[in-house]
Amino acid sequence: MSAINPDQTTAQRLAGMVPSPKPQRMEDPVTRDGSLVEDPAVRAPLVLGDRTFNDVTETVCGYIEKGPGRWWMPAFGLASGVAGLMPLMILYLITTGVGVWGLNNHVDWAWDITNFVFWIGIGHAGTLISAILCLLKQKWRTSINRAAEAMTIFAVICAGTFPGIHVGRIWMTWMLFPIPNANAIWPNFSSPLLWDVFAVSTYATVSALFWYMGMIPDFATLRDRAAIRLMRDGQDAETLPILNIRVDMIRARIYGILSMGWRFSARHWHTYEKAYLMLAGISTPLVLSVHSIVSFDFATSIVPGWHTTIFPPYFVAGAIFGGFAMVLMLLIPSRELFPGMKDLVTLRHLENMAKIILVTGFMVGFAYAMEFFVAWYGANKYEQDVFVYNRLIPPFFAVTGEDGQLKYAPYWWAYWAMISCNVISPQLFWFKWARQSPVAIFIVAFAVTIGMWFERFVIIVTSLHRAFLPSEWGMFFATPVDILTFVGSCGTFLTLYLLFVRFLPQFAMSEIKNVMPQANPHWEGYGHGHGHASHNPPASGAAPAGAHHAPDAPKEGL
Amino acid sequence: MSTIFPKWTNALPTLLAGGGVTGLAIVVGTIWYTFTPKFWDVGYMPKQPGGGFNHQIHAGKLGLDCRYCHTNVEVSPEANIPSVATCYGCHADGRLTKLATSEDHKAKTAFVREAYASDEPIEWRRIHKLPDYVRNFPHHSHVAAGVSCISCHGNIARQPEVWQHEPLSMGWCLECHRNPDPHLQPKDKVTRLFDIEDRQQQLGLAGLASAGAKFYEERKIHAPENCGACHY
Repeated sequence: MSAINPDQTTAQRLAGMVPSPKPQRMEDPVTRDGSLVEDPAVRAPLVLGDRTFNDVTETVCGYIEKGPGRWWMPAFGLASGVAGLMPLMILYLITTGVGVWGLNNHVDWAWDITNFVFWIGIGHAGTLISAILCLLKQKWRTSINRAAEAMTIFAVICAGTFPGIHVGRIWMTWMLFPIPNANAIWPNFSSPLLWDVFAVSTYATVSALFWYMGMIPDFATLRDRAAIRLMRDGQDAETLPILNIRVDMIRARIYGILSMGWRFSARHWHTYEKAYLMLAGISTPLVLSVHSIVSFDFATSIVPGWHTTIFPPYFVAGAIFGGFAMVLMLLIPSRELFPGMKDLVTLRHLENMAKIILVTGFMVGFAYAMEFFVAWYGANKYEQDVFVYNRLIPPFFAVTGEDGQLKYAPYWWAYWAMISCNVISPQLFWFKWARQSPVAIFIVAFAVTIGMWFERFVIIVTSLHRAFLPSEWGMFFATPVDILTFVGSCGTFLTLYLLFVRFLPQFAMSEIKNVMPQANPHWEGYGHGHGHASHNPPASGAAPAGAHHAPDAPKEGL
Repeated sequence: MSTIFPKWTNALPTLLAGGGVTGLAIVVGTIWYTFTPKFWDVGYMPKQPGGGFNHQIHAGKLGLDCRYCHTNVEVSPEANIPSVATCYGCHADGRLTKLATSEDHKAKTAFVREAYASDEPIEWRRIHKLPDYVRNFPHHSHVAAGVSCISCHGNIARQPEVWQHEPLSMGWCLECHRNPDPHLQPKDKVTRLFDIEDRQQQLGLAGLASAGAKFYEERKIHAPENCGACHY
């Protein structure tokens, strides 16, 4: 280790091992956040605090190297404890049978498929952010794409569990896939349930590839930083308690394997960019196809309430709606818990996502209305009954039926929970203060997540619980096993996300650097008047030094 | 980085990729070949009481018709195992006067007379087993359609001790139900196994198929492929 070889030099330069002055938060005196500039001539900055490239590296790597803080261990313990419920409940289910759930002869899908659709929908925001926003060159995606992609993977893991365990005879689960077998039989290729298997497994594969490939350069940064600290061989180096191994040695090895020999060469970046674009292209149709096919599980049946052509776009909009709510529910607490994250995930990012929630909330609201319209316009008695007498009418507005009996919808509470969470609560985002208040956004996002779960419950259970013959009418009652399995899946999701924030880079460092003002070749340094709005509140006006750069001004940001 | 990984680890990705592909091929191949009734069940030949009933002598050399013992095969789903009385019909003391009169043979068949005298059944071991969710393989409808014994049991008349000749897997059943023509025989020859063998050699697969196609029409056969045909 006498001479520093070229690799080490490169690594040192790119990993930014030379310390730099601690960045200052630059806050707008009015909005308290420089990212909320309203001047249309000025692009809002996507990274606050006059950060250098090195600051970004230090901040993002610091979350892993210094650890997320004292809160992490209790949070992880709690989340993994809750997650432990899931295997326990599944074990009980397998050893006893699906009777431990509240299913009955008519409601033969309930919480299991509700949870499946709920989780698979949540993943869609990640794919939308990483693929569609990438192709549309929405630069604000760079700060949130990594976390959203991670969330996608974890949501798909939770989702995939439920079709696997709902089959009853668990040892036949392999029959979900078309595997050649001695029985010479195949799954039904004309059934959307099989398309679903393909759709979800393709989705999981492509999302995982996209997520992993994006992390390779960041893994290499973490590897090089660990390797350089090893070479320095400090006395105060962090070691594992019993094994007496330096933590940096483990880091260098593991991130070294994960980074697959990445050396930051121009050729690597060239290939990387191409592959990234291709994966974005492959993922884009998946945003639409996966939830369309999930909706076919219902739409191709003849059950009133399911047999609807509006389902594919309605499900896709709902998935993006629910997914963005989940992204917000993860990022808003992260902003508070991780130092410096507010400069990377700015209020502008949150506001943009709140706007998407408002738009997609309108889409699902429109779909809810259209279901009623089509049931009326289609003059289908059964469909009308499903919507009006299974879902809509609360007991206090009960109507008298032809037989003189009072009629109301037994699942009115689920329906109105869905409407109030999904259609009414996002209306708050018409107000600017709500779009710019993390607390308000968090509350709405939480409501939307609940509402989206109820949406799937309403679709599945209220349509099934009253079949064509009144003799087949009955209610569904969830058992504790139903509930604890779902709670366990939430714990699993949270556990995986906590592991992600602890051990993997939460931000795509290279992409964030690309949207910083320094990436502009004409940039002359902070304080030169453009590209960074927080220095130029509208009152202080045009700085003379920046005047001749005016045409270049809207380079960065949204 | 040479400081993290020694140089030989450069070969690891290649080795792992090669090993992974080979390992996967081995696993898939092993499952494909061995996880089948064809691998595990064909050739099953349990030890029968008294050394077993020699089908080669009785059905082959002596030319007993299958239905002499398996009397219900044309009328019942179950091709019955004969009772001791059927055996005793020939093997009673002093009944056989022309063939097999040696002391050795008498000793070999003594268990039949003992069973008859003590009014106990002989505990023959079942060879051709179907799972209980395949209800009552209907021998009668297959015989009526002109499917010879040989199609499922092989040429029993050549087997001194009977063994399982076919896999009896669902895939094997469906193979015939999806293309039954080559297995349809003239009705008078269904149990005449050597005639069937000769016919198979003379006609070949194509000849059997074209002849069988005619039988399929004439006999108004419909080989079902729906689940409920067997699993009901």
